[in-house]
Amino acid sequence: MNQADITKLVSKLRIKVPPTHRRLRNPLGPEGRLNKLRKTVTGLIKYERIELNYNRADEARQYAERLISEAISHGDCHKPTMEIADFWLLEKELVHKLFKVLVPRFENSSSAFTKMYKAPKPAYARAIEKTILELKGNPYPSLTTRQPNNKLLLQNVLLDAAKYDYRQTKYAEIAEKMSTPEETKNPDS
Amino acid sequence: MASSNLKLLCTLLSRIRVENVTIKRNLYQPPKYRPPHWYMPKERVLTDDMVTQDNRDFIDEVRQDKLNLQTAMESPLSKIEPQETVQWNPTTRRVGLIARKIGNYPLWTKSGKKVQTTLLQVVDNHVIKYIPPEEYTPAKDYKPKKVGKYRLGCMLVGSETIDPTTVTKDYCGIFSSVGMLPKRHLCRFHVSPNAQLPTGTPLFATHFRVGDYLDIRAKTIDRGFQGVMKRWGFKGMPASHGVTKTHRRPGNIGAGGEKARVWPGTKMPGHMGNRWRILRGVKILRINTKHNVLWTLGVGIPGETGAMCYLFDTVLPLKKLQTPPPFPTHPPAEDLPLEYYDESIHLFEQPSITFEET
Amino acid sequence: MSLVMRKSPIEYFNAAKWIIRRECRYLSNLPEVAENSEVVEDKPPKGRKPRFLNPTLQYRHVYPEFLPDPNPKFRNSLREKLERADMLKRRSQVDIPEFYVGTILAVTIADPHAQGKTNKFVGICIERKGCGLRAEFTLRNVIDHQGIEVRYELYDPTIQNIQVLRLEKRLDDKLFYLRDALPEYCTFPIDMDPEILPEGSPVPVNTVQVKLKPRPWLERWERQELKGVSNIEEHLKEKDRVRRELRKTPWEKFDLMKDYRKTIPIEDQTEIWGEVYNQLQQMRVSRKKMSKQRTFTAPKTQLG
Repeated sequence: MNQADITKLVSKLRIKVPPTHRRLRNPLGPEGRLNKLRKTVTGLIKYERIELNYNRADEARQYAERLISEAISHGDCHKPTMEIADFWLLEKELVHKLFKVLVPRFENSSSAFTKMYKAPKPAYARAIEKTILELKGNPYPSLTTRQPNNKLLLQNVLLDAAKYDYRQTKYAEIAEKMSTPEETKNPDS
Repeated sequence: MASSNLKLLCTLLSRIRVENVTIKRNLYQPPKYRPPHWYMPKERVLTDDMVTQDNRDFIDEVRQDKLNLQTAMESPLSKIEPQETVQWNPTTRRVGLIARKIGNYPLWTKSGKKVQTTLLQVVDNHVIKYIPPEEYTPAKDYKPKKVGKYRLGCMLVGSETIDPTTVTKDYCGIFSSVGMLPKRHLCRFHVSPNAQLPTGTPLFATHFRVGDYLDIRAKTIDRGFQGVMKRWGFKGMPASHGVTKTHRRPGNIGAGGEKARVWPGTKMPGHMGNRWRILRGVKILRINTKHNVLWTLGVGIPGETGAMCYLFDTVLPLKKLQTPPPFPTHPPAEDLPLEYYDESIHLFEQPSITFEET
Repeated sequence: MSLVMRKSPIEYFNAAKWIIRRECRYLSNLPEVAENSEVVEDKPPKGRKPRFLNPTLQYRHVYPEFLPDPNPKFRNSLREKLERADMLKRRSQVDIPEFYVGTILAVTIADPHAQGKTNKFVGICIERKGCGLRAEFTLRNVIDHQGIEVRYELYDPTIQNIQVLRLEKRLDDKLFYLRDALPEYCTFPIDMDPEILPEGSPVPVNTVQVKLKPRPWLERWERQELKGVSNIEEHLKEKDRVRRELRKTPWEKFDLMKDYRKTIPIEDQTEIWGEVYNQLQQMRVSRKKMSKQRTFTAPKTQLG
């Protein structure tokens, strides 16, 4: 059982974090792994929506979330945070975007900053799983077309009716309860 | 013409004789898998049903109401008079519990010795069903005994209430017949007929007592495909001194001649862990009645933190129950002390240990 | 990397229009490209102020063992709760003072084999490790020219008393290099008197830099970036310097997820400190009262 590191304070990520990191094989070892992820994180901050392999997307997503949460918690006047942003964003104009566009955008959000979708892959093919990684609040049109609030779907109509019946029986029970004590009280008095 | 032909055929047929019959058949017939008869498929493909938020709230409300009903349900044991219950004797077998392993931490004995303990949490266990021995035909036996030959009945116990929308309707049916929401784990225990419990009885950690011994059955940690050094504890070979490419290999696996084959049971690389194992004779050191947690001696309980394990009274002859335990189980009680300690354990709220000069 | 757009042409057109509008707004927000990041650093903090942090978070330095192991394989909220309750129960029985690595402590334990059944040891704390009831600390001293290290468990009920003789911090988190340092750096008299700090003063940092004995050493100290060692370069050969350069991992401080997996996030910590804050505060207050009373009576030291 190891003691937690107390020199740093980090805010909790809103995504699920696996217990260990992925290896993302690279001849340069851990350094090469980070170099790979730097490119992806830069691309995500730049384009706001990218399509890539699942493993790399999931790993880069964690780093992007951490980068934005660090930027939110420390601001642009904190030197270590600026160094981190400088390391992770290969194109330096994106540092401005991080602190001046993304931080105000996500400052008051209570959910994760990024979103990941499964991308379609060719049928009958042994293709690697692809995903789409995007920053929330991006200017592109939404990827999903579903309308969860369609009241006219059959299941919703049926549930509405069931709800009505359930409430009616509940009210009837309450009314019965209200009436019975009075009856019992009356003979006493 | 036709009759002569028929005659000829008859004479020919009468000559045919069957000398001996050899039926080629595979001698080994693997036992057919029969799931237990209470088995119902549990997993369901989860789909997005596009239900409106209003209706989703309604489903939650109904579930909450059902959960409230379940918690308000009185234990059937409280209705039974204590005189009616049967007396315990050493041959009876009680029901066990389903627990979750939640971690390890040390306790100290009164002599100042540190002992490692494993914490097991008993999460809302309920009796779901009892099958008397006359009707019970377990599937595992190759040649099932005749009905009525079994001495022990079968008791189904479930633990950890889950959302009914995440499992199949059939699986929910097992529980709804008792008036309960479905449980994540369903397990059977063999019990003596006089130790049977009415359905819906809640089981608590106080089913066991401090100082008793347990048998714990659980799945070991899944370690995947491993070599012989990790799997069987082989020594391997030296790191240097001219050794090439055989540092962690098993070496020789057999002789020549008549034995020129791999003998069955040879220790070889392969899949390690993820098997059911029983650790017998584990002592209970401490019990928390509020959270239903048991502190057991040692860290050898199979499985990682968060794994499920099944607890039974031990079968070891020297550690068996000597005095009557709560039988058939401990009834729900309000005025229990918060914690029970074994007499050898030092309580943290007691003053520090000192030794007397002799 | 590709932009993903699977929509009808009209939507595509609308989206493009929207993007252009948004892009324009971004451009208006963006500063000139010529302005580099250094300029941004020098600016006074205008809109962005550091977030308000819960003051109870500072307890993590004083009571680090109350934070659980960050490895999710070992986490369980109920077990952590029970463990913290047990720790507080033990703390109500014995006064476990605030101390850090580098602090000089005197620990008295009950020992059935010692004369008088108690044993006292004085030494400098060179390590604090473990969490929960497993928390440990190691004391080091040189007695009769022989270095001695004793590892104590913080919540062991045989501990009778822990006394802080000199409360201070050192420059490093672990002082294992004292094993290879000259013996005068960790020699402390057994009958050392406690030094009392004025109330409310911050914990002083001792900036002493120790001198190492010539090699062989127990560890490769030159690779550990130690601040508390003065003469490390004297004992190095060219070979060691080259290998130190090769072994450096400058990218590790940018590995954000590695840091994250080692720490307990703020949200979890506030929950933990909120649970134990009141009781710890009460214990602190009662200890202060006790120490005021104790100033009138001279403490007796027991020698083992």
